[in-house]
Amino acid sequence: MKPSWRRLLGLLVVMSALVLAVVGCGGDDEAAGEGTTSADTADVTSDKPTIVIGTKNFPEQFILGELYAQALEAKGYDVTLKSNIGSTEIIDKALTSGKIDLYPEYTGTALTVVFGAQGSAESAEATYEAAKEKYEARGQTLFAMTPFSDSDAIAVRKSTAEENGLTSVGDLKTLGTFKLGGQPEFRTRAQGLPGLRRNYGLTNVKFVPFAGISPYEALDQEKVDAAAIFSTDPPLGTGKYVVLEDPEAQFGFQNVAPVVDRELADRGGDELRETIDAVSEMLTDEAIIAMNKAVVLDQRPAKEVAREFLEANQLT
Amino acid sequence: MTALAQAQPVIPDFGRGSDCVRENRTFCWDWVRDHWDDTLQPRLLEHVELTAYAVGIGFAIAFVAALVAYRHRSFEGAFGFTSELLYTIPSLALFQLLVPVTGLTITTVEIALVSYTLLILFRNVVAGLRAVPDDVLEAARGMGFTRAQTLLRVELPLAAPSILAGVRIAAVSTISLATIAAFVLPEGLGQPILDGLRTFFKTKFIAAGALAVALAIATDALLVLVQRSLTPWTRASRAG
Repeated sequence: MKPSWRRLLGLLVVMSALVLAVVGCGGDDEAAGEGTTSADTADVTSDKPTIVIGTKNFPEQFILGELYAQALEAKGYDVTLKSNIGSTEIIDKALTSGKIDLYPEYTGTALTVVFGAQGSAESAEATYEAAKEKYEARGQTLFAMTPFSDSDAIAVRKSTAEENGLTSVGDLKTLGTFKLGGQPEFRTRAQGLPGLRRNYGLTNVKFVPFAGISPYEALDQEKVDAAAIFSTDPPLGTGKYVVLEDPEAQFGFQNVAPVVDRELADRGGDELRETIDAVSEMLTDEAIIAMNKAVVLDQRPAKEVAREFLEANQLT
Repeated sequence: MTALAQAQPVIPDFGRGSDCVRENRTFCWDWVRDHWDDTLQPRLLEHVELTAYAVGIGFAIAFVAALVAYRHRSFEGAFGFTSELLYTIPSLALFQLLVPVTGLTITTVEIALVSYTLLILFRNVVAGLRAVPDDVLEAARGMGFTRAQTLLRVELPLAAPSILAGVRIAAVSTISLATIAAFVLPEGLGQPILDGLRTFFKTKFIAAGALAVALAIATDALLVLVQRSLTPWTRASRAG
């Protein structure tokens, strides 16, 4: 038999074809997350600045991005929405390097992560003002903050709350030894167990670390009596759980405020600010939880959920 | 929960997902149908793209390196050691190590993925070449073949089964590894897997995971067919 060099050539051709085929269709390399939109309205007036909005990499941010983008588009702004940019550190870099003009940030995170501040301010307003001051010293500003705060929180089953009359984190002291679930780091973090002991005198806690299991599933299956969660988690929209109040402000304040490039804020003037603030003003705990639930639990597209909310509140 | 809530927004009825989706049952076909076009199919194509780049580039590098190593033993040791070293770095760590240098880009992902293909491809090409029997080489020399002719007409065709076996292993392992790329870049099937895990939505990560497995099996089967058509004598000898 004749070992054919043609077959060998064939092999090489297949390998190169694999590469070339891919290079050929690789024109759309631009990283684009879910829900990237650009203004498709043609009535863009020249006096209004073009705005690039960014968001971090989780559903609540996708919704916020759509809300601000669609409200601005309705007022005739030319908007590009870049969803799913990444973590706080990454999106802050995108902002300072001018790749985006605006993104929704959590006030507490702005202080601690962006500006490396220690501890937390004593009220939502103080947190906001402190963050705003830092941003303005750096060439950005904050528009108004939302009523909702997406902070750490402790939730219990509704039945547990009713049977034991629990409304605040401190009330957990009246229980016998109870099981509290949370991410492993909750055990040692200042805002975790040590804080609960210091601020609320909770010494009757048996900690159960979660690894990759939903805190709500653990609550449902009665593996834990209470769980460390985030205060805008979608399952809270089902009414099966009660979030305990945090009068000592152990968990800090995480209201959302759009960080805006200073130059854009100045050029956009009152109209830009009022358009955005009108949206933020409507974002209560109930509103954002309902939208998070629609997107995460009911798997509705963020774009449609945002549009329906804006329409219902006459913001488009 | 905040003292600020003065606004009274109208919260519209956003409708609801199917019972299966709402209750987050193990697997919901209706979600897969509804989100094939906007979530699964584009990520699947990106995954094929990530893998093809990695195996294609990895093969080009490993093939040239193996040809050199075939002639120069010392190079075989050096390249083999380097690629082994790369192979032992945990993938998540390698992605993280590269981020400061090449950023959150496709370059970062591909450098890591290519690195992991090198060892397998290099070793298989070299082993295939070294397995060519001496008497065959002698016969080639006796027929007056030059070195290049011997390589092209005798050695590489005889090494082809081993080379293709390497490509199969590299392709399948890259498909699996590329899911981790989602930590760096929201592309490929790793993105819905990560997203499903973050939001505890089971159908999403099961569907994307199953697609990755299916892609690996299909790729392997395809490469077996390629191997058979390129090296029919391997089948003939087995049959006879």
